[in-house]
Parts: sequence; structure tokens; C-alpha cells
Amino acid sequence: MAQWQELQSLANASLEQVHQLYSGAALPMEVRQCLAAWIEDQNWRQAAEPLSSHARMLFHSLLALLGDRLGSPGLGNEDFMLKHNLRKARRDLQAAFEEHPERFANLVANLLQEEQRILRLAHAEQQGPVSPQGGAAPAPSAPPQSDRQQEIQRRLADFQAALQDAERAFRHLEDEQDMFDFCYKVHYLPAGENRTSDPEYTKQVQGLQAKLQKLDRSRRDVLAQMQQLLGRSETLRGFLQQELGAWRERQQIACLGAPADTSLLQLETWFTALGEGLFQLLQLLRALGDLRHKVTYERDPLQAEPPLLETRLRELLTCLLQSAFVVELQPSMPTSGKRPLVLRTANKFSVRARLLVRLHDRNRRMEAKIYIDRDPPKIRGFRKFNILTSSSKTLVAGDSPQDGLVCDFQHLTLKEQKVVGSGKGSKGPNEGPLAVTEELHLITFTLAYAYHGLELELETSTLPVVIISNNNQLSSAWASILWFNMLSTDPKNQQFFAAPPPAPWPRLAEVLSWQFESAAERGLSKEHLHMLAEKLFGSKPSPESTLPWPKFSKDSASGFSFWAWLDRILGLLQEHLKQLWKDGLILGFVSRKQEKKLLKGKRTGTFLIRFSESVLGGVTCTWVEHPESGPPAFRAVVPYTASELASLALPDIIRDYQLLAEENIPENPLQFLYPDRARDEAFGPYYSQRQAGSLMEKKEYLNQRLIRVSSRQANESWQAEEELVAATQDLETLQLQPGGPVPLQAAPCSPGTRQLGPCSPGTRQLGPGGLEPPLALQVGSRVPELLQPGPGAVEPQLVLQLVPEGQGTLQVGPGALGTLQVIPAGLEMLQPVPGVQGMQQVGPGDQVPLQPEPGAVEPQLVLQLVPEDQGTLQVGPGSLGTLQVMPRGLEMLQPVPGVQGMQQVGPGGQGTLQPGPGTLEPPLALPLVPEDQGPLQVGPEDFQPLEPVLQEFLQSLTEELESGSGALESLEAAELMPGMLEAGDGRLERLSPGPARSTALLDCHDPFLPQADDAALPTVNSLFAGTDDFPPLHINPHDFQ
Amino acid sequence: MVLREFVRSLFDGLSVLVLLLMGQGSGRQERSKKLELATSETMQAEADVQSDKEEAEETKTRDERLRLVFGMADLKNKAIGLYNIGQTCCLNSLLQVFLMNTHFTGTLRRITVPPSASQKRRSVPYQMLLLLEEMQCGKRKAVCPRALACCLTEHRVKLFVQYDAAQLLLTLWNLVNKQMTNPELIEKLRDLYTICVQECMLCQECSSETKRNSNMITLPLSMLDSGCHLLKTLSMKLVHLPQTLILHLKRFCLRKSASIHKLCHYLPFPQDLDFSAVLTEEQCQADASEKASWQYELFAVVVHSGSTDCGHYCAYIQSLTERKWYCFDDSEVCQVLWDDVKCTYGHSDLHWGQTAYLLVYMKKNS
Repeated sequence: MAQWQELQSLANASLEQVHQLYSGAALPMEVRQCLAAWIEDQNWRQAAEPLSSHARMLFHSLLALLGDRLGSPGLGNEDFMLKHNLRKARRDLQAAFEEHPERFANLVANLLQEEQRILRLAHAEQQGPVSPQGGAAPAPSAPPQSDRQQEIQRRLADFQAALQDAERAFRHLEDEQDMFDFCYKVHYLPAGENRTSDPEYTKQVQGLQAKLQKLDRSRRDVLAQMQQLLGRSETLRGFLQQELGAWRERQQIACLGAPADTSLLQLETWFTALGEGLFQLLQLLRALGDLRHKVTYERDPLQAEPPLLETRLRELLTCLLQSAFVVELQPSMPTSGKRPLVLRTANKFSVRARLLVRLHDRNRRMEAKIYIDRDPPKIRGFRKFNILTSSSKTLVAGDSPQDGLVCDFQHLTLKEQKVVGSGKGSKGPNEGPLAVTEELHLITFTLAYAYHGLELELETSTLPVVIISNNNQLSSAWASILWFNMLSTDPKNQQFFAAPPPAPWPRLAEVLSWQFESAAERGLSKEHLHMLAEKLFGSKPSPESTLPWPKFSKDSASGFSFWAWLDRILGLLQEHLKQLWKDGLILGFVSRKQEKKLLKGKRTGTFLIRFSESVLGGVTCTWVEHPESGPPAFRAVVPYTASELASLALPDIIRDYQLLAEENIPENPLQFLYPDRARDEAFGPYYSQRQAGSLMEKKEYLNQRLIRVSSRQANESWQAEEELVAATQDLETLQLQPGGPVPLQAAPCSPGTRQLGPCSPGTRQLGPGGLEPPLALQVGSRVPELLQPGPGAVEPQLVLQLVPEGQGTLQVGPGALGTLQVIPAGLEMLQPVPGVQGMQQVGPGDQVPLQPEPGAVEPQLVLQLVPEDQGTLQVGPGSLGTLQVMPRGLEMLQPVPGVQGMQQVGPGGQGTLQPGPGTLEPPLALPLVPEDQGPLQVGPEDFQPLEPVLQEFLQSLTEELESGSGALESLEAAELMPGMLEAGDGRLERLSPGPARSTALLDCHDPFLPQADDAALPTVNSLFAGTDDFPPLHINPHDFQ
Repeated sequence: MVLREFVRSLFDGLSVLVLLLMGQGSGRQERSKKLELATSETMQAEADVQSDKEEAEETKTRDERLRLVFGMADLKNKAIGLYNIGQTCCLNSLLQVFLMNTHFTGTLRRITVPPSASQKRRSVPYQMLLLLEEMQCGKRKAVCPRALACCLTEHRVKLFVQYDAAQLLLTLWNLVNKQMTNPELIEKLRDLYTICVQECMLCQECSSETKRNSNMITLPLSMLDSGCHLLKTLSMKLVHLPQTLILHLKRFCLRKSASIHKLCHYLPFPQDLDFSAVLTEEQCQADASEKASWQYELFAVVVHSGSTDCGHYCAYIQSLTERKWYCFDDSEVCQVLWDDVKCTYGHSDLHWGQTAYLLVYMKKNS
């Protein structure tokens, strides 16, 4: 906008200054207004220099223009006054400055300068914090700008103004040169004609000399102006570079889930403005160089200087353009939305590059190319990939100014180059020093840029990406991305994981909080972080603490890494608990010590929700009870994991949670959410709608509701606190011991060991054929409850009988102590648990359920095998492994390495029962824990014929594993994380447990497989694909009455 | 069209074309009165000096008064540029560094005016003083240092030759030093600029060590292996540091091919520099009180851009009274920020950009 117009649009306070400026000025405002454009276009400052003939010329031009304007019909008669004023002004000016036109030039130059100052001040005020009071700022409320941003704005404006000055100076120089040229041609005669004696001629030559001197000075002056301009633009470029650096940092943390503004609009405006100015300068410089072709002389500054300036300018432009080529959207797969930079082979991903200098030659195609690992690091076994689909694309500019010069690469896929004999797949996973998820790859773009004779190849790279081939690597791949972007100083350092630095706790805390923020819209509080720090660094975390990479992502005493634990919680939150977490109902990260501290002073029934520290992806409720005498007791239920929450949401669980006492009056111990909110008030909004409609219509069914139940005995006397500590050591364990006085006898536990009842949450489903409403039974008792079917009963009936404390004795029906009895008639499933006494653990992996074919006439058998000692299975192909055998078609075999220390009971532990359709008899599960160490005792003959079959099957499996290519295939599968098994379609069938030898192979050094000495497996639970196969048991509350 | 002959005659007559038009009237009426007053004030003070110049001792109060008048003189006007009159960018930059230094101009103003016209013409300090006067009373954006340039050509400092700034600085200083007649002023000038260092020489035969103090104007700092540390490579022992300390970053080095090569790499320098803190014990040979005074603030940076063969100089100078940075690029002067000065740290990717070459530090609190 022209300066004069801009001035008029200012706020009143500034306008007042303009009025003051012109009130005493010799140049009337009418004249300024009338000839605004012309006046602004002249170089008054230069004309004001003494001895300048330019001043006179300008002065007379102005008078002439005024005269023209007065005579023009455009002014007409409508503004008689204006005409009069102009006439008067013209006369006055002529009188005042006729003799000293340079004074007039100086006057105008000063006025213009003053106007600029007013403008600058007004703009600064507008941008400053004062502006809201003015209320006149119509501009959209931009976010507050930093000092640097304001400085950039200011400098850009200055730069553009200076550029205009330079252009004016150039035009002036052109005129001056033409004038000299003319005079020279007219007056100067070739040396041949000797007229030196002629005084007139000598005078003319002297005049010419003076003119040439002036021309020379003007040229040098313009050059100095450009030098200065270039110097300032170097600083400006430095500022833009810093802003871009800040944007890169924002983008990096935004990739990690931090809330950060990654818009490029502002930067693009700046880069484009500077680029435009520099290209303009380049053209000006060339035009300046061209002046030399008309007039030149010895030591002409236009000979040496413009090329130097141009080289400098080109270098500056190159630098600017190079940094202006950025990756706007880092590579990401559409499926893993919030976790970019992790790519899976054969999965589509997209990435976008952008050129922030929105200048391009529309007649030339700008082609961008994409490469992966253009300059691969020298790492042994470093995988190589090809980018499938087109690797080049034309940069397109949208028509609207909002669209940048972008280059969107979509639907790209990666394919690993199979190098014979060196690929990871063919040589086993311990090839190469880096794990797959620690291998960093770079995607690079190049762009052939050409504009105004400047041709460049621009290049930019993405942040390093991790390429995986399987979804189960996603979590650890993301851990690598977190670590890299949190700590790497060089965004291209592909060797980062050769020696990953430890993370300072404050930084890590921040990044972890972002994870929660992006997964469930609420970050981690100070208390949460304090608990995590304590968990990581022991009792005294300090801000200087650092966490090494392996401790974050790899080893841990608990059998799974810190990250694996946290990531599963993240998954659980995202899937099932997002709203509760977001609304702050989940206390989440609370240590047991802290938990007691919090609950101690609260009334009975106060509970809090926290994440399990020992179960991957588990959430539990702990409540406090104040017995009539003695210290308060703290109880917690076995953690609910995703599989349980999938069938019943946590608020519903809390609403209906029942604790069974001996007198069979169930009660809900969860009354008040910590600190003291009534349960229903806190969770009311989250309860799911009770099924009242459709089911009620069917008269033959009663309403049903799924609830969770734990049991305890009424006559139980709470243990002394010390003992409780032992018992509650693992709060995941159900606290409701049917214990008689003191030591827990049914399954004695030593303090500190994890104890799991075989009947932890898990549900049974009764056959649909049952006439009575289905009965749900969930018993959290550690002592297996006994299900006693009435022999030959036709109607399904479930009797819940809590096993009385009997020195670990189990009463199964009429059975004797420790003997396993199978009642042939009613019993559909048998779970013999030949547990070693003192070993109170029944892991899910220890079960070998045998599932009958539908409609099988033979009694179904579930065989539950517990390793005798140190995790050896009595039966089973491997020393560590579960065997799931189906009597008829042996299809599935699930190896579960690692039994020892397992603290989780899979749903199978409940004695799962899946009756074939059409069976009228109520299915029954019967978990039995015989006391003696002896081998499995299976009562009736039914079991025996099975054994050879099993043996035979195992034999064949083993053989198959040992020989042939099938073994290799299974190994490949074994490379996968165990958790992957359920996802890997069809892999389950192939996966076979090898004998001891193949177990050793499983224990190879792939970080995703637990080491051989790992006590427990992090993901064992998920191995049990069966979780979902056992729908919850439906219970009719009436049945309890 | 080539105007060779014509122009040759033109530049031959250059020395005749002395265009000193002091006090030329201009249209800036609102200021001229004040300016004239200022001019006359300085002139008056100068006259005082000249009339009193025979006195060996000057009272301290007078000294202070003079400083007040002279020191402030630099800011009676805004910063004024100097026209380039034939590759004089280097000279212009150095002149600005000298003339913006109030400690120097305070001394310069007290020189004895040479008696004869030819002596006046040949006297570098006198011509510098004239130029200073012209800059201060001028109402233009820049003045032309023609007379001084002509004067220098008589001392074999030629026009149209690109000088090395460090070299030209030394030449200029030596000329000023040599042509000053008043021993007191010479003493002042030396106090102002000379660095005293101790050199150790080891005799190869008798292995006896000879120590010798020598004076220098600039402290050369090698850019090689400096590893972003300004004073790491200083190899001699410092005995005394002056008021105005000039560091010379040796960005030009001789390569094997005998071509001079410019080192563009990054070397940051601070605005405030405590020499006693950054120097190691081996690097100084000074007593505690001397070292305590080694507190410096950056005053000016002479900057080079371009390559060895063809380059350009400009100067960033912080006005001592206003505390504002200016960039003097021949006739163009503009106010800048410290950020602009920081842009001259150098960058190994930018071979043509501005790089600091001479750093002028000023002692604090004096």
C-alpha cells in the first residue's frame, strides 16, 4: 500500500501526529495528497545532497505536475476550494524554494521519513499488548508474537522499504547516466580534434568530468546500498532459520504426542517474502551490471562489484531455499494415526514435503524425488528397502494462497530387499548388532528447483523412521522413536542406537505425559510422575536421575520392560478407560504405600482405581475396610485387563461388584470413590444402560446382568496387619481368602509370592439349552470353589460351595482328599491340577484344556497340567509350554514359555467350559487341587485312552519341528512376540512347541523374545487366545436368594 | 563506450578535486541552528586547545571538560557514512572504527595543526580531524574522504587497491603515530592501542632463554584449531592490555598451492570479555591489578565478505555514548542489533557472507 494511503488508515492518535507534521510544513497537505504517488516515487534524499541538479529538476517537475492537475478537468469545479488551495500552494512553493530547490528536496525527504516513523510506531503499537484497548485492530487476532517474530516482521518491512529505495536509486542512476551519455556525445570530441586551447571546450570537459564523478559516486552509492541490504538480509535469514528451527522442534515433539502448533503458514509467508525480495535484488543487480554496457570507464565499480554481490546473493538464496524445503508431514501410516515414524512393510504410508518459498516458474516442472536411505550407515546387517509405487512426483502449487508448494506422497509402501544370504530373515534374528526396532532409516526428498536463472537441487530428510514387519513390534518401535526424538542432537543420526544416551528424568517425564495426553487426552500429574520415578529410580528420585535405554525398553526384574508395562496401560486407557481417565476418576499410578496412606483415613468402602504394577495392562480397585477392631484392611481385586473390560466396562463392574460372604449376602464393597465421592454419583454418567427392553419382552427369560463377584467367608477374622501385608503383597491377588485362622491353607503362600487363584475373573457360559436362566458365577477365591453337580441332573443348576478351610484339602463331590474324581455322567470338563504343594501358582500357560468337538459324545476333558517343579510340565512337548489339545482334531498347540513366577491366571484357569451346542447337560468345570505331588490321577478310564493319542501327537510334532522346512517356518513365527500370536492369522495353527532344543532356539537374542532365564513372560496372558473364547457367565441375581 | 583516456585524466586530477564544503547550508532549517551552535562549540574548544597547546600540563578539569565536549561530539549527528572512492571500503571501515572511538577522537582533536598548506595536506592526523569535523557538521548521509585518501596516497596507501584490514590498520596507526608531534599525545595514543606482550626466544646453541617485551597493535589469533574458542590459540604472554584492544582473527591463510584461502568457519565472540578469566596462566604475564582491569566490552567489528581476491569490508560499531550498534557500509549507515553482529560469526557453508575479521574491544569503566 502506498505510504500516504497507509497513513490515512491509521488510528486517530497517529493521525493527529500526521496533522501536526503538516501543520507547520512548507509542503501543504493538499499537494502531498494530490501528488502522493509521484512524490513517494522520487529520490528526495539524494536530491537533497548539495550540488545536485536533481533537486531542481524534481522541484520543477512538481510545479509542472501541479499545474497539470489544476488545469485538468478531472478536478472540475466541484472542489473549488481545493483548486484554490493548490494554486496558492504552487505559488508559495515557487516563491519559497525557487532559489534553493535542494532545500525543498530535503524538506520533502524529511517529511517522508517522518511519515515512515509514524507508520512504524503505529504498527508496533498495533502488534504490542496495548492494542486491545484501541479496539480498532480489525486484523484477526494473531497469537502473541515473540520478540523475534516481531523483529522479523519489522525487518521484513524494512527490507522491502530498503529494496524500494534501492530501486528508486537505480532508476535515478539510469536517468543520470542517460544525461551524462547525452552530454558526452554532444560535447566531447575525439582526441583527434585538438581543441584543448578552446576555453569553452575546456569548461565543458570540466563539466563532463564533474558529471562523471557524480555518476561514479552514484554507482558506488547504489552498490553500497545493496551491500547493506544484503548484510541485513543475512541477519533476517538467520532469524528465519531460528524460527524454522523452533518449528522443527515443535514438529518433533508433536510427533511424540505433545500439543504443539505445527502450522507452517507464518513461516511460509516470511520465507516467501524474503525470497521474493532477494530475487528482486538479484534482478536489480543484473540490471545494474547491464548499465555498464552503456557507459563504462576505467575502474568502473560496476565491473567488479556486481559479480561479487551476485555470488553472495546467490549463496544466500541457495541457503534460504535449501532450508525452506521441509518435510511438512512426517511419514506415518494411516492406521497408526498418533504414532508416526513407525512404518510397517507392505503397509501404506504417506509423507509430505513442502517448499516454504512459494516462488516457482510456472513453465517448468518441479520434480521431487523420494529415496530411502540414500546414504545408508555402515551397520552390519542394516536392512535395505525399496519404496514401491512412484518415487517421483511433481510439486504442485494450489491456486489459492493458502495452498503451499507441496508434494504429497501417498500410498507408498516399503519392501525389504532380499539379499541372498544376508537378510535378517534368512540368517536368524541375531544377525547384526541392532534390533529391527533400533534400526533407523531416513527418507530423503530432492527437488529440482529453478527460478530466475537460479538452478538448485534442494534436499530434505524426514526424521528417522523405524521399519517393522509385524504389528507386535509397534510398541518397541515407538519406544525407539520416543528415545531418539527425545535425546538425539542430530536429527539424521542413524547410528543413534549404537550408543543410546540415557534420558534425564524431567525430559522423560514430559514425554511420557505426552503419551497419555495423546492417547487419552490427559497427561500425567505430578503425583503420577512421582510414582513412576519411584518405580524407576527407587525411593529417592531426583531431578538429575537418568534412565538408561535398556532399563526403559528391555530388562526388568518383573519380566517385562517399563515401557511395555506403560504402553499396555496406554492401550487399555485408549481402548476402554479413556473417558474415566480424561475425567480424572482413575488415580492410576499409585504405589501401594501411597495407596494405603491415601485410604487409611477414609471410611470403609472408599476405593480408588489404579493400574496394576505386575499385570500388563491391568487396572484394579483397592478399597479400605475398617474392621471393628484392628487396623484398617486394604483389599483389591485381581486386575481387569482389556479382555475383561471388553465384555464389561469398568463403571459397570464397579456398580455391580459383589463380594460374597458365607451367609450368601452379597455386598458391594466399593462405596465411595476416593476421596469421598459416592460411587453412583461419580460413575453414574458412565454406567451403561441396563437392558430393559428387548430381553424383557421375551417372557421366557428373566432379565440378566453380568456382575463380578469375589467371595470371602463371613467368619473370617481379619489378619493382623503384618500378615496382611504379606497377603496383600500382591494386590492383584484376590484378597478374599477363605482362610481359616491364619495361614492360608488351601494353597499356602509364602509372603511375597504372587498368588493366584485358579478362579480369578473368568466366566463360564452355560449352554444355551439350559431352561433356567443362565447362572453366572464368578469366584475370586483362591481356593477353587467346588462345583457340585447333582449327578444326573437334567436342569442346570449351579451350586456354589465355598471350600471350607481344610488344610488345603479339596472336596470334590464325594471325593477323597487329593484325589481327583471324575463324575462320568455330569462332568463335561475336567481340570485336574496335580499341583505341587506349596506351589500356589497356576498360570494360564499351565493349562491344557481339551476341547471337545461339538456334539461329542465322549466326556470332554480339560487337562490342566502344572509343572512339577521349576516350571517343568509333566506333559507337554517342551519343558516350558502349554499344550492345548483337542481330543479329536488336534489343531492347536500353544507354547508358552516361562511358567515360574507367573502371576496371572488366564481365563482357562477357571475351568473353562464350552459345551457343544445341543448338550442339555449343564457343563461344569471343576478345578481340583490335589494335595500330593504324585502324578495325575485320573479316576475313570476315560482319560487313559487319551494319553497315547497325546503322546503320539507330541511325538509327531516334535519330529516335524526337528526336520524339514516346516521347522524353519515355525521359527519365523517364533521370532514374533508371543502377543503376536493371536493377531497373526493362521499362525497359531502352525506354531508348535518344540522339544527342549527348540525352546532354546526360541530363547535366541531377539529382544522380543524373553531370555531363557526370564522368569515370566510379559505377554503370556495374551497368548491365551482363549480369553475371548470364554464369554462371561451370566448370572441371575435371583439365584442367590 | 569506453572512456579510458577521459577518465584517466579525471583521476589524475583527483587531488585537485578536494571538495570540502563545510557548513554548506541545507534545507533542514529546524536543525541547522543547533548544529551551528554545536560546531562553533567544538571549534571554540579546539581553539582553546590550540591556544593552550604550549602548556605542558593541562589541568584535569580542563581535560574533563574537553572530553565532555569532544566525546559527545560524535553524537551530535547521527552516524555518517563515507563514500567509497575506489575500493576504499577497507579504509572507510577503519576510519569509522577510529572516529567512532571517543578516546581516539579526544586525542586527535588536540593535535597541532601543521603550519604550511602542504604539510596540512600530507598530515594524516590533520586530515582525519578534518574528516571528523566534516562528518559531524555534515547534514548529509555520507561524506567523501577524498582529501584523506589523497593524503594517504602520498604515503603509499593507494586507491583502487584492496588492502587487508589488519595491515592497513597498522599502516594507518603508524602514520598517525609518526605524524603526531606532541609527545603527550603520542603517549596517549600508545596507551590507547598498544598491547605489550612478552616473547620468549630460545637460543639454539646455548639454550638460554631470552625474554623480550614487544608492542603490537593487534593481537593475532589463529583460526586453525581454535575449535570455537576465541583465545585458545594465543601463543604469547600478555603483559599489558590497552584501552582499545584489537583482535585479529586470521581468517586468511596460505595454502600449499600458495593461494590465499579464506576460512569461513564459525567462531563466536562475546560482547563482554574478561581476559583474565579466559586466558590461561601461561598466556599472561601480568600482575593482579593489571589483570583486574582486563574487563572488556566489544566496541567494533570489522567484517569481510567475499573471497580473498575480491571482497568487501564493512564495520559494525557500537556507539560509545548511545550504546547502539551501527553498520557502516561505505555511504550506507544503519542502526542494527547485536543479532546482526552475531551474523558475522561465520558459517562454514557460507563462503561469501560476512565474517568478522577484526574485533575491537574497549576496556570497561574508564
